[in-house]
Amino acid sequence: MIPELGQFALALALAVALVQSVVPMLGASRGNLVWMRSAQFTALGQMVFVAGAFGALMWAFVVSDFSVRNVAENSHSLKPMLFKVAATWGSHEGSLLLWTLILTLFGAGVAVFGANIPHALRARTLSVQAWISVGFLSFMLFTSNPFDRLMAAPVDGNDLNPLLQDVGLAMHPPLLYIGYVGFSIVFSFAVAALIEGRVDAAWARWVRPWTLAAWMSLTGGIALGSWWAYYELGWGGWWFWDPVENVSFMPWLLGTALLHSAIVTEKRGAFKSWTILLAILTFSLSLLGTFIVRSGLLTSVHAFAVDPERGVYILALLALSIGGSLTLYAVRAPAMEGGGLFAPISREGGLLVNNLLLATATGTVLFGTLYPLFLEALTGDKISVGPPFYNASFVPIMLPLVFVMALGPFLTWKRADLRGVLQRLRAVAAISVIGALVVWYLVTKGPVLAVLAFGLGIWLFLAVLQEWGAKIKLFRAPLGESLRRARNLPRASHGMTLAHLGLAVCIFGFVGSSAWKEEVVVFAKPGTEVQIAGFDITFEGVEQVPGPNYMAFRGTLVVMRDGDFVQNLYPERRNYPVARSQTTESAIRHTLAGDLYAAISEPAAENTGNAWTLRILYEPLVNFIWIGSFMLVLGGALSLSDRRLRVGAPRRAKAPVAAQPAE
Amino acid sequence: MFWISAAGMALLAALVILLPLWRRGGRQVDHRDGALAIFVDQLKEVEDERARGLISPEEAGAASIEIKRRMLAVERQEGGGSVRTVGGAMVLMALALVVPVLAGGIYVLTGTPGVESQPFAQRAGEREEDARIVELAERLHTRLSGEADGGATEGWELLAQTYMKMGRYADAAEALARIIDRPDAHSGHLTQYAEALIAAADGVVTETAGAAIDRALEMDVLNPAASYYKAQWLEQEGRLAEARELLVLRVSQEESVQPWMAFFIRQINRISAQTGDAPVTLSDFVEDRGPSAEDVEAAGEMSPEERAAFIQSMVDQLAARLEEEPGDLDGWLQLARAYGVLGRSDEALEAYRAAEGLLDGLAESDPRRGIVAQGIASNGG
Repeated sequence: MIPELGQFALALALAVALVQSVVPMLGASRGNLVWMRSAQFTALGQMVFVAGAFGALMWAFVVSDFSVRNVAENSHSLKPMLFKVAATWGSHEGSLLLWTLILTLFGAGVAVFGANIPHALRARTLSVQAWISVGFLSFMLFTSNPFDRLMAAPVDGNDLNPLLQDVGLAMHPPLLYIGYVGFSIVFSFAVAALIEGRVDAAWARWVRPWTLAAWMSLTGGIALGSWWAYYELGWGGWWFWDPVENVSFMPWLLGTALLHSAIVTEKRGAFKSWTILLAILTFSLSLLGTFIVRSGLLTSVHAFAVDPERGVYILALLALSIGGSLTLYAVRAPAMEGGGLFAPISREGGLLVNNLLLATATGTVLFGTLYPLFLEALTGDKISVGPPFYNASFVPIMLPLVFVMALGPFLTWKRADLRGVLQRLRAVAAISVIGALVVWYLVTKGPVLAVLAFGLGIWLFLAVLQEWGAKIKLFRAPLGESLRRARNLPRASHGMTLAHLGLAVCIFGFVGSSAWKEEVVVFAKPGTEVQIAGFDITFEGVEQVPGPNYMAFRGTLVVMRDGDFVQNLYPERRNYPVARSQTTESAIRHTLAGDLYAAISEPAAENTGNAWTLRILYEPLVNFIWIGSFMLVLGGALSLSDRRLRVGAPRRAKAPVAAQPAE
Repeated sequence: MFWISAAGMALLAALVILLPLWRRGGRQVDHRDGALAIFVDQLKEVEDERARGLISPEEAGAASIEIKRRMLAVERQEGGGSVRTVGGAMVLMALALVVPVLAGGIYVLTGTPGVESQPFAQRAGEREEDARIVELAERLHTRLSGEADGGATEGWELLAQTYMKMGRYADAAEALARIIDRPDAHSGHLTQYAEALIAAADGVVTETAGAAIDRALEMDVLNPAASYYKAQWLEQEGRLAEARELLVLRVSQEESVQPWMAFFIRQINRISAQTGDAPVTLSDFVEDRGPSAEDVEAAGEMSPEERAAFIQSMVDQLAARLEEEPGDLDGWLQLARAYGVLGRSDEALEAYRAAEGLLDGLAESDPRRGIVAQGIASNGG
């Protein structure tokens, strides 16, 4: 019964979304407050129904109701409970349901927390949000029903894939989705503003918290995903420029640009049209990502062509929403009033450079992602575009960005004194150059790009600290005074500092772990010794260790440095007999300076005897990536908590009597 | 229970549409007030920054003027544009009715009303049953393997059929492999063996399976299963025309409708679509006296009760016809089989006995002799 109620809840959500997509929009154009206000209730109602459906599906997974096709195909009665719950969003249908749930959550968020947003804008925004809901709910109900039933329910489920039983992976899709579906509300705000024909500084302020919320979770989602790849896949990499990664990274790049251009719109009333365009494009990239991942296009262009129903539906949705919003943009954007003027060297100018570079970087990633798909469709050749392409194209675009990023916060609005700023940053520049030279000295064979990038990381880190120090007069006023100043500084300002520092920290991690990674792969027999990054590692052998539902081969490695014992590492290779699959459990020695990473796999070929394939990596500074990412998210959170984002919500007078007209 | 809960949800949906009519109050901001509040805040911020020495007084002045200009622009834009707080109630009331009806329609289209959930914990009985069958199969296997004569042929056959139902095709093939070379092996054993091999190979007719099919045809050229798999083999080899020809030939050898014909017709038409031959129907071959393909198709979509009733009516029709034409051997066999399926073994036995009387004059190797003997034995005769 419960799965059927879930199905009915989805149907109700669709019906309510249909109402919400028309009535508030009409109310806003006719000045009917009742109709406008209906959006707040329907947005909540929609969320409740979709959440109900999601709950019903989760229930079906938790109790292993194999009469639901989705459960039978994607779960198993022996799965640990946590992964039964996570399987709810593991399948195509379930992940769409999660997608829609997050969509409606953001709608409900605007309905509940958007009290400071003008009623007409709020009504139109929620209507546009409902259009997207209608698209996805109907897609789900008519092509990808999560509650499809099986007449003869199998006694047990099909899926026990151990590779997917990982906490990081379980949490990854929800976070990623909150991020990239979150940009839907920004899109809705942009389309609503275009329909209304009114984009001004206040609009940018109303949208900012929603952009921030979406950006934060996308940042967290991407970081968690790379963390998972690093720990679980056993390849020792944290980013593979894989299409699935790229489709979440592109909205992030453009969303970051949007976050910055919206500041210009808010402060100076400029970049209006550009901000709107970015809002539309960011969500369009999210939709494109959904399409690429969900249509099966990635496995093979031909697989898509064989069963195109789902893909064609999303493609139609994509064409409608992107095409429609861009057409609306083309009609309305020219009528927007220009904002304040500014000189090329100014805060605005700096942010413009930021936007141009981020947009170009997005374009590069988009090209690298789509090119293989087009090539396969046209010629049938399968190619993959990997790190060499991105190192040669994406990285050189990002380096100037980092350079300008350090300068940006020093620049004043309208017209800035670049010479003065550079003078203030003399010390920072000098230290950065020295730092880069030191790095050069330490790793003389290191690639030029890496040394340059590392120097730029130092430059960014120090410049951000100096800017923050200047704001609170650190060391130039008594400490108490500085602390008081720091307290009075708006939280968004601290947020910016923290996020920019976070990026600098990430850069150290990116460069360190990719440019100066050391790797040794050997066929190891007991007694084999390996030298890497100053460590002496001895392979003691492999023993069989039973696990709860697997049998593991556990290798023992003794790690020594300069003759002193450091620690033992126990990489495992696990065999799951029921699922007939293997996983690699790498063993990692974490330090801030770098990770020592070991993985083993079975003897590769007969002729190697009983030697095990032993992979040992040393990844300098790799943990900085996740520390930096955490700082980025925390910076976003600080910004989001800024009091100013809630300005405009009128306090209702305590005594409503006062509102009565005088006689 | 389902309908009550669903009705409750539908009511909630209607309420969601109607709520704005009840709660007319609540905070509402129009664009001007909202924007002004933000600009006032921005002015204060500029003043703060000036006081903290982050921007010069000139910069602060210029910024303030710009913000004030924006405030004027907002004031100018918002002249009239009054909003109504009443009206439109009828539309919402109508929509409150439409929403549940629409949702109900969508649900009926996409859902499966009335299907109960089957949580794992509540299916212990089914699992026990399954476990028991597995255990019985294992016991049977041990016993048969242990017997001096290699185990009874019927025993292995039963075991193989059990394995097939459990989806353990390779085990089924292995069980049948033990009996196919025995003197009492018949054509049916070989086709079962081929079927198990093909299922184990995900539908590919392997060399061994092909050899078994050929042997099955040698033993009984009329074994429909053998013809069917032979055709599948030919098709796999790309010899489409031959495959089709074989299927057509086998169907045309029958005088009355056989239950397996529907499969053959479907297969013929599938191959015809590739070879460009015209599609065929059952009535092209035999006078249609049994359930038509449409009837059978319809039966597939019925509920269990409906299906039972349908089978019952078919059986009654067949029984009535045999009263008039008691010389139809295949008819009797069909009726006996149907009674067997329905669990009416006395009547099944009767039908087999009637068939037994018609066996004289048939060749010794005719498989129907075996079927009748087996039928009588298994129904307690």
